[in-house]
Amino acid sequence: MFSVKDFVTKRFPRAREQTLSQKTIFIVPSKISLGLMVIIILLFLLGINFQNSLVYVVCFWLIALLVINILYTYRNIAGLTIKAIGAEPCFAGEKMVLELEVSRPVNQRKSAIYFGWKDEDLVELNLQEQQSTRIKLSHSTKDRGRFSPPRIDIFTRYPTGLTTAWSYAAVDMDAIVYPEPIENTNQVDKRGAGDETDEGVEIAGGSSDFAGVRQYQAGDSPRHIHWGQFAKTGDLYTKSFVDYESHEAWLDWEMLSISGVEPRLSHLSAMVLQFNNEQRQFGLRIPGKVIEPSSGESHKVRCLTALALYNLPAKGEAHDR
Amino acid sequence: MIDKDYQISRQVTYRSMVWLLAAQLVVMLPFAFNLPVWLVPVMLAATYWRIRVIKGHSAQPKFLVRMFVIALGVAGILASGMTLLSLNTMVSFLLLGFAFKSLEVVRQRDALVVVFIGYFLVAISFLFSQSILAGAYGIFSLIILTAALIANQQSSTQQLSQHSTRSSLSTSALMLLQCLPLMVLVFVLMPRFSPLWVIPSFESHAKTGVGDSMAPGDIANLSKSDELAFRVTFSDRKPAADELYWRGLVLNNFDGVTWQQLEEKYDTHDLKTELLYKQPWDQANMELLGEPLPYEAIYEKTGQPWLFTLTPTTEVKGKVFRLGDYRVMSRSDIQSTFMMKATSYPDTKRDIKLTDYSREQALQLPNSGNPKSREMAKKWHTEAGSDQAYIDKVLAHYNQQDYYYTLRPPLLGNSDTIDKFLFESLKGFCSHYSGSFVFLMRAAGIPARIVVGYLGGEWNKTGDYLSVRQYDAHAWTEVWLADKGWVRIDPTSMVAPSRVEGGLEAAVEYEGSFLEDQLFSVRQFEWLDGIREKMDAIQYGWKRWILGYDKDSQANLLKMILDKLSSIPLAALVGILFLGIFLLWFVMLGLMSRRSYEAYEHRLYRKFCKRMEKRGIKREPKQTATEFALLASRKLPEKSDAILSFSLLYQSVCYEPNGNDNSENSLKQMRQLLRQIA
Repeated sequence: MFSVKDFVTKRFPRAREQTLSQKTIFIVPSKISLGLMVIIILLFLLGINFQNSLVYVVCFWLIALLVINILYTYRNIAGLTIKAIGAEPCFAGEKMVLELEVSRPVNQRKSAIYFGWKDEDLVELNLQEQQSTRIKLSHSTKDRGRFSPPRIDIFTRYPTGLTTAWSYAAVDMDAIVYPEPIENTNQVDKRGAGDETDEGVEIAGGSSDFAGVRQYQAGDSPRHIHWGQFAKTGDLYTKSFVDYESHEAWLDWEMLSISGVEPRLSHLSAMVLQFNNEQRQFGLRIPGKVIEPSSGESHKVRCLTALALYNLPAKGEAHDR
Repeated sequence: MIDKDYQISRQVTYRSMVWLLAAQLVVMLPFAFNLPVWLVPVMLAATYWRIRVIKGHSAQPKFLVRMFVIALGVAGILASGMTLLSLNTMVSFLLLGFAFKSLEVVRQRDALVVVFIGYFLVAISFLFSQSILAGAYGIFSLIILTAALIANQQSSTQQLSQHSTRSSLSTSALMLLQCLPLMVLVFVLMPRFSPLWVIPSFESHAKTGVGDSMAPGDIANLSKSDELAFRVTFSDRKPAADELYWRGLVLNNFDGVTWQQLEEKYDTHDLKTELLYKQPWDQANMELLGEPLPYEAIYEKTGQPWLFTLTPTTEVKGKVFRLGDYRVMSRSDIQSTFMMKATSYPDTKRDIKLTDYSREQALQLPNSGNPKSREMAKKWHTEAGSDQAYIDKVLAHYNQQDYYYTLRPPLLGNSDTIDKFLFESLKGFCSHYSGSFVFLMRAAGIPARIVVGYLGGEWNKTGDYLSVRQYDAHAWTEVWLADKGWVRIDPTSMVAPSRVEGGLEAAVEYEGSFLEDQLFSVRQFEWLDGIREKMDAIQYGWKRWILGYDKDSQANLLKMILDKLSSIPLAALVGILFLGIFLLWFVMLGLMSRRSYEAYEHRLYRKFCKRMEKRGIKREPKQTATEFALLASRKLPEKSDAILSFSLLYQSVCYEPNGNDNSENSLKQMRQLLRQIA
């Protein structure tokens, strides 16, 4: 059985880069061109009834315009190369952003080409002077995990609006969708999620906690000189301070008193964000994966990605949903 | 499939609106000459209003306001005294709607509708005028309309670029130019049909050419115009100058001053019925003699049904009918260029027997008036003894007495005009001579009538066709003789023989009155004659091949082509032509080769990436060229030098196009390196 869906899927395999050619471009007259066809028929009748050659000329010229316009619209979209650059991750329920690089053949300018998804985003593209440009398309997401953007609709009606040429681009580029961060109120003790170490490690040369007084050494900050002692003894003493490293936290799957996989992941996701905001050191322990305590943006991304991909098949198997 | 699902701003942009208004004005302009003048300010007002709206000075008119304005316009049209169902009224309504439609345009779709109506109106304008100028202006309108269509599709960002105006205009002109071959092919091949139903005709205000009655001096007025009346091509042989009597109207009834066709004045429609009833065409009442003379005539628009033919016409093609007085008339008033094919036998004996009705008509005279002429006619007729001798005597009289042929005849008043002319003024134009001659014949009991038409014409340089102009208008007479039927007699030729051979210009040369009122007539400048001749030939070609291209011309042309290419069937020929046009388009639009337009360095780099991929090194889209080169050189250490320098060269060619003087050299090196890498 022939199915349009299968046909389209076969015609447009996922790829990082694709160039639109006659194999992948469809052309139909636009609805409004029916209006022009009515005008053409009227003109033909007018030409017959008034036996007027010039009316025929206008009539046939419009027919020719309608025909050549197909080629013009085709040319406006053909040869366009679409390359997936990257997909920005997002939290479930938010919009992921797909970045594409679109370039044109050297001598064909492109005008008014639309990229987008139905009911989602639509971006207009013009390639006049520049050879290529980058566009960003956003698409809403629902579930955490890998999000394969659906086929992008690409269409144009330039130059006259009488025909629509369209094609699809199935980009082989997944976006990671993090679990939606929902702090679970059932988890009474927030910190209970992690077991804190009791003893912090002193870091010498800190600046917050006073640790004692010692002999002045060259290079010590004048702010830390113990002026009281100097007045008494005439010798220079320096106040020394230590920092305590913040308590390392563990976000541990097992310690959560929440039922259900997704709520747990959501909670952990919220905690990752919170700890990252507080610039704390934290580690993540979920079944099958342990991330050692650390901090910073890349650590956050690593943790969130781990949460997003929890219990999902490896890349490649999840395709063609 | 697409409109509803996407939320695009499909509002018309400012620039596209400006284009649309410009196109509207261009389309509406030619109608200003044919329709009520007050439509012009109304159209301008609508445009001005819309410009205020797009500039933000006025609000978009509300529904009620629009209805009110439209109602005003409709009332205006009806008040202009136009018939409700005539074409003029319909076109006026259409124009009004067109002018106010732009006030409604908000979305891109509305703009398209306006342009479509614009296309329609361009065609409609050709119903009013089909001159070359009108044609050229029509093409200009089409280009502007299509440019408006293109500007409408351009996005606002694109329109900010300086080239957008030029680009929409040049794209439009280029598209229409590329359409030309297909248009011509369809024009030539599309079957032509006869009109499908009766069409409302134009209310023609201007009637030109020969009128349907003749008072002394009437035709002299016509002689002041050098406008074209019709053109003729003879396919077989060319007739001599004295054969070129183009018969148009037969005037029988004389009321003492004016000659007209019938006793009463009828409107054109009733006149036709009357004539057809009283003088039906009778093929049996003539005896064909001499050689046939086939020809093809293209008549200019006159607003009247008269056609001018050599007589008698034995075969005729076109929407015409023939009458018993041997003239040919068009079925409807000639409102656009009209083509007719006919064959004549000029030497034929016409009306072997004169019908009672015709005899009565040809002997009619008013009961009183012109006593001197009547008396002279009776006297001379008795003296001469026979009809023929009497005719000769009268003609000799014109020749020997001091008659003058002049374009400036003296006025003769309202009574006894024949007497005044024959015995007092002796100066006259063809209408005077023919009128007085017929009077003298009838007064002597010889059936006679006046024929109005054109005499002569001007052959173009190559002699392909004859142009007959208004100043060739002429009046002559026909006399019925029992043994000869109707005989043509031109009394003017007795006074001014050069009128027949050399045309009006030669006949009144002594007087210098030829076209004297036409200050700017090209006829007055001899050095312009060459240009005039060429223009005339172009005009003729335009009328013969474009305006006059009909079913018959199509059949002839196809037959001619097929005769020359007898081996190829028509279908194959047409197929080849269509294919050729599409191939031409593909080449013109650069659709033939897929990648060849990519810059050479990119093609080389693409090749490089493909080779690397074969060796299992795939370039990730986010990788820069340098990163990829480093990765590749690490994986293929033995080729690392070539890979790195290839990548460096590629980047220098791409990113420092000006800093690199010998990019030719670099490309050559890249090619060599690529060979090494492979």
